[in-house]
Amino acid sequence: MVNLCSLTAEQIVKGIRNEEFSAEEYISQILERIEKIDDKVNAFVVVDNSGALEKARHIDKMVRSGEDGKDLGSLAGVAVGVKDNICTRGLRTTCASKMLQDYVPPYDATVVRKLKDDGAIVVGKLNLDEFAMGSTTEFSMYGSTHNPWNTKYVPGGSSGGSGASVAASECAISLGSDTGGSVRCPASFCSVVGLKPTYGCVSRFGLISYANSLEQVGPMGKTVSDVVMVMNSISGIDDNDQTTVDNEIPKYTIKPSGNIRIGLLKEMVEGAEPEISKCIYSAMDLFSSLGCECKETSMKSIEYALASYYTIAMAESSSNLARYDNIRYGFDLSSDSYEWNAYFAKVRSYLGEEVKRRIIAGSYVLSSGYYGKYYLKAQKVRTILKQEITSLFKSFDILIGPTMPVMPFKFGEKIDDPLKMYMVDINTVIANLTGIPAISIPAGFSKKLPIGLQIMAGEFQEQMLFDAAFLFENTANIQRSPEL
Amino acid sequence: MVSRDEIKHLGWLSRLELTEEEISKFTLQIEEIIGYLNKLDSVSLSEIEPVRSRKNISELRKDRIEPFRADPLEGSKNRKDGFIKGPRLN
Repeated sequence: MVNLCSLTAEQIVKGIRNEEFSAEEYISQILERIEKIDDKVNAFVVVDNSGALEKARHIDKMVRSGEDGKDLGSLAGVAVGVKDNICTRGLRTTCASKMLQDYVPPYDATVVRKLKDDGAIVVGKLNLDEFAMGSTTEFSMYGSTHNPWNTKYVPGGSSGGSGASVAASECAISLGSDTGGSVRCPASFCSVVGLKPTYGCVSRFGLISYANSLEQVGPMGKTVSDVVMVMNSISGIDDNDQTTVDNEIPKYTIKPSGNIRIGLLKEMVEGAEPEISKCIYSAMDLFSSLGCECKETSMKSIEYALASYYTIAMAESSSNLARYDNIRYGFDLSSDSYEWNAYFAKVRSYLGEEVKRRIIAGSYVLSSGYYGKYYLKAQKVRTILKQEITSLFKSFDILIGPTMPVMPFKFGEKIDDPLKMYMVDINTVIANLTGIPAISIPAGFSKKLPIGLQIMAGEFQEQMLFDAAFLFENTANIQRSPEL
Repeated sequence: MVSRDEIKHLGWLSRLELTEEEISKFTLQIEEIIGYLNKLDSVSLSEIEPVRSRKNISELRKDRIEPFRADPLEGSKNRKDGFIKGPRLN
């Protein structure tokens, strides 16, 4: 029997529709693969074996009864993994936190509902840094996820499970969430494609909030076209998320395109490790050889981006995480013998170290007397970044640079030094602060570890990102899945 | 300069029970983090408006009933006689 796990979402949909194989055969192989290799990768925190098989059989029945493609759904049969901070009805959603260890959502997040409506099969929930706070997946109550390319290395974070599962062919596509780079970082470290959509493009209803003015749910897949398929399913206005925008987003397409005006961000290349800069310069050469107009450019306000980002992210997290009181949902601890405040302080000690650190630092920057010095200034820096990047997009269609300034690193390397850990987000936070879309695509390898190319475009210019990403992917042909 | 007392106080305001060891560790680390955030001081921002939401907050959805087809509080372990039970208020 052929190995169906390594197929792209596009190939799976075709294969099932043309009855080359059944959805049940495919999903069975996926579940066997998770069973066989996830001990090494630790991408999944929950696997829904029976639910996934039942859905697969239902799709097979529809195929046999001659349903046409439209009724089957654009993602019929495709195995999808969902980051464990996105609500799935009846399937435990923990944010990798002891605080939510028993939480079973009574509803699906809008993105999950849309994927299911289009026939995708949720095979399980994926590991992350607790409440999506981290860049390595080391801050998880389930233990770290391992990088499939070398299991001694981190997979990136916070959507480490979402990146590793796709690279390890444990699911075809996955959903992550990106607050400061949490989709693009693992995409870069695991050699897959990951998109942070424009703020307001995808509903956040059912995404458990960390810093809601910055975050978006984003798709991950082996190819640009798989990410496009997911975006066509999940994007659009939602009554349940007031920040979603009705800009009549058309269906995204995959089309070869040259003649793109490209700006290479000098600050990002200069700040990266030498093997990464070299790889990004080769990427620029490739774009030039394909008829694109490439130029180096500069964005001065980048210098202040990280300080602005962490101020806002921590401030918002301190207020968002105030809701965890263990009364409406949570674990089993009777409140009978406790006084009000004592109970909350007790149950909230179940939050992990990084989460506590961000809540306290966030409370610090919001304290009276400090508000104007930190939070307000951070919001003003955001305006400056937005102005500068908007003016750059008058001269360039896209801006490129390395997704990460560092190569994937070993476990434990940065975990005791929070500030050192935060620094790796320097290139990715720009898109979150300014609301623009950004994608990370595989660009090459150094010492058998992946390097990602980040492409940014103006607000709602996802199609431009896809055109450029597809053009590169099609020619560069970078390896996706490692042997495991 | 971030002090131990400040961290302890912020911990209390955030309803986090911190151990002595955590207080010491967080004091040093948050001091370093805040030190980095002081970078914001060096940029001149007096003329700049802070970023605002793109949407007008008064754009509310239509006032129509959409039944929620599940028990939104089914996850709560602290239920009694159809109510949610919390700790006592002193």
